[in-house]
Amino acid sequence: MRKAGIIVLSFICIFLSYLTFITAQKAFQSDWKLPVASSHKEDRFRIVLITQELDTPFWDKVGKGAEQQAQKSGASLEVWGSYGKNQDDFLKKLEIAIQSKVDGIIVQGLDTDRFKELTKVKAAFYGIPIITVGNDVPKAESLRKTYVGSNQHLAGMMIAKLMLSDMGQEGQVILLSDSQKEYYQEERLSGIKEVLQSFPNVKTVYAETPETREQVIAKTRDLLNQYPEADGFIAVNANTAGAMIQEIGRRGQVEPYFIYSFDDGSESITLLKQKKLDGVIEQSPEMMGRKSVDVLMQWLKNETVPLDADGYSSEIRMIKAMDER
Amino acid sequence: MNRIQKKIWMLASVVLIIMAIIWIALTYYNQQTQNQYNDILQRYLSMNEVTSSSQQVVTDLNNFLLDPSEENVDKLNQSKVKLNEAKGEIGKLRNSENEFALMNYMNLIDSLIETTDRSLMFYEESDTETSNKEFTEATRLSKYISEMTLTLIDTELRTYDVFYRGIIDQSAEFKKLGIWLMLLITLVLLVITYWFSLSITRPVQQLTRAANELSAGKFDKEIKVESNDEISFLAQTFNRMRININNLFQEIQQKAQLEHELQQNKLLLQESQLKNLQSQINPHFLFNTLNTLSKKAYLEGSEETSDLLVSVAGLLRYNLKWLDKSVTLQDEVMVIQQYMNIQKARFTDRLTLHLDIDQSCLEVQLPGLTLQPIIENAVIYAVEPREDGGQIWLRIIDDDNMVMIEVEDDGPGIPENIRRQILNGELIETNRASTGIGFTNVVKRLRLFYGMENLMDIQSEMGAGTKVLIRIPKTRGIEQHAQTLDR
Repeated sequence: MRKAGIIVLSFICIFLSYLTFITAQKAFQSDWKLPVASSHKEDRFRIVLITQELDTPFWDKVGKGAEQQAQKSGASLEVWGSYGKNQDDFLKKLEIAIQSKVDGIIVQGLDTDRFKELTKVKAAFYGIPIITVGNDVPKAESLRKTYVGSNQHLAGMMIAKLMLSDMGQEGQVILLSDSQKEYYQEERLSGIKEVLQSFPNVKTVYAETPETREQVIAKTRDLLNQYPEADGFIAVNANTAGAMIQEIGRRGQVEPYFIYSFDDGSESITLLKQKKLDGVIEQSPEMMGRKSVDVLMQWLKNETVPLDADGYSSEIRMIKAMDER
Repeated sequence: MNRIQKKIWMLASVVLIIMAIIWIALTYYNQQTQNQYNDILQRYLSMNEVTSSSQQVVTDLNNFLLDPSEENVDKLNQSKVKLNEAKGEIGKLRNSENEFALMNYMNLIDSLIETTDRSLMFYEESDTETSNKEFTEATRLSKYISEMTLTLIDTELRTYDVFYRGIIDQSAEFKKLGIWLMLLITLVLLVITYWFSLSITRPVQQLTRAANELSAGKFDKEIKVESNDEISFLAQTFNRMRININNLFQEIQQKAQLEHELQQNKLLLQESQLKNLQSQINPHFLFNTLNTLSKKAYLEGSEETSDLLVSVAGLLRYNLKWLDKSVTLQDEVMVIQQYMNIQKARFTDRLTLHLDIDQSCLEVQLPGLTLQPIIENAVIYAVEPREDGGQIWLRIIDDDNMVMIEVEDDGPGIPENIRRQILNGELIETNRASTGIGFTNVVKRLRLFYGMENLMDIQSEMGAGTKVLIRIPKTRGIEQHAQTLDR
């Protein structure tokens, strides 16, 4: 009896000790690690990539490419920007970046006075190099160091040729641009027009619309009413493609129309997969990101001075709807 | 310090030490947590400080632009210093997560200060428009700083999220730990206390049991207490007391036995005296008659008969007179000669007594009627039954400080068991023909008279005779015994 009591007692003792030990271990052990207080003053170049369209497939890829390259070249990079082309926000971010005296800014070009003033006056005042990516602004107006991205003029020519090959050398084409008259769109348009000039049987209708969805839809409706015989559409601003196609779809079949756009719109790829777009000019956003960081680092390290002001072109290629599975 | 007290002190200190250790551990842990909390709070406070001081700079700048007084300049400078200090604090918060943002933040602060300075500069140059522009920029910058502070705090929260959750989990675990620890300590202390109290009470119980046994009269059981404190000392003392009592007890028992023996001896003596008294009436009459008969025989010319009667009368007188007195060996020998005269008259030639006496030993004292019963025995057993008679030797030999008395006969001897009974004083005699005092009586009286054992020995061989040896000390060993007997 006594022996059994002692055994039970020692069992309880051991059990309690075990529990105590386990909880003590949990209570005193801190397995979470705090971020290391970094004392290293070694100046890694701080680079900011600022875009107007965060969280779109195209710009995500640019950011991804830039981050990869930044990691490779030992610079710290952050991607800032606004959502849905919010210009105020975008410019504010740009100003913060300039005022924060980052080492370099890679920015999606915006063809506005405020943008130009910031880049030309402010950035120059602090001596911060600015590279435009994806969308360019004229060098003289912005004092940008260089441009990395597609040759938009070439892209315009390609899309025009693509359409001609599909549609034939006769027809009516509606070019839908936005009213911002951004530099890259102008470039595209000039490319398209350059090609179509030599085909007198192809009539072009140029239209502008503000970028909001409702307004795009309204404009498309107008255009369809005005030009019922239109054979093709080119959405020069890829972001308008979605709304445009939606309106066309409401009127009737989408298939008979030859509709083309670029891949930097948020819906471009989806529409292409649905075969609503007949063709898309695909740019290489990741490469743009990589190249822009690379070029900026070269400038910062004084390896290539000055940079090629005309810009570094990235690849573009055509994708037809049938190519896509 | 004594042991029980030491034990209690030890228990108390063990408890105290356990408590102290737990208390120190908890306090230390608490302190650490507190420090962590403080650090975290400090981070937020520093960031907040930047926001408020940057706003203060802008406000002061505005005040100055509106009212460029000395006082406002001082205020502005003060708030700039404060902003710089806040910036210094912020620099310490740098870690791998927020390095980029923090760098921007600090540069923003620098920009604000620079812008403020520029605004002041233009103001002094009376370029009010530019100055105002710079002021607007400063305002914007201040706003950016506020926003960035929020972003930083947000990042901070995200970075430290795991940490905060860790702290919460830890405190929960800590609560559990407290419960388990309390249970464990309670159990351990209970066990220790039980064991400890047992170590005190068990010896006491053992001692109580021992005391009970002692009071019940069991003195022969040793008192043993397994302990090393005062109780064991008590037990040892108790044990010594028990041994002492036991010894005393045994002594008393021995004394009682001795007393008993003495009593027996007295009874023995009284018996012989009684016998003596019984035969006292007749003896005087018989004695006188024997004397008359002796004279009558003498007058009638029978001298031999007259002598015999005188011997008988002498023997009788000696018998009555000296029984309870010590006599000399001389007297004893004389009585034996008288006795032998009588026996010779009875057995004539069949009885031969050889006397071999060292005359120097005859002054030795010995109880009366010691030899006569032995000789009488020899006559009865060695001579009487045999037709051709027997011989008896009486030798008295000087043996240093002892006198050796030998009575030898050539009779049939005594069987071994009877011999031993006689020597041990156990034989109860059936008195056939003795004058009243038996062999056993002699043995006992000798023993009492001298206070010594082994004074008498019997050597016997069946068919070859018996030899009774009596050794008598020349000086008596214990006078007391003699006195007791002389009373």
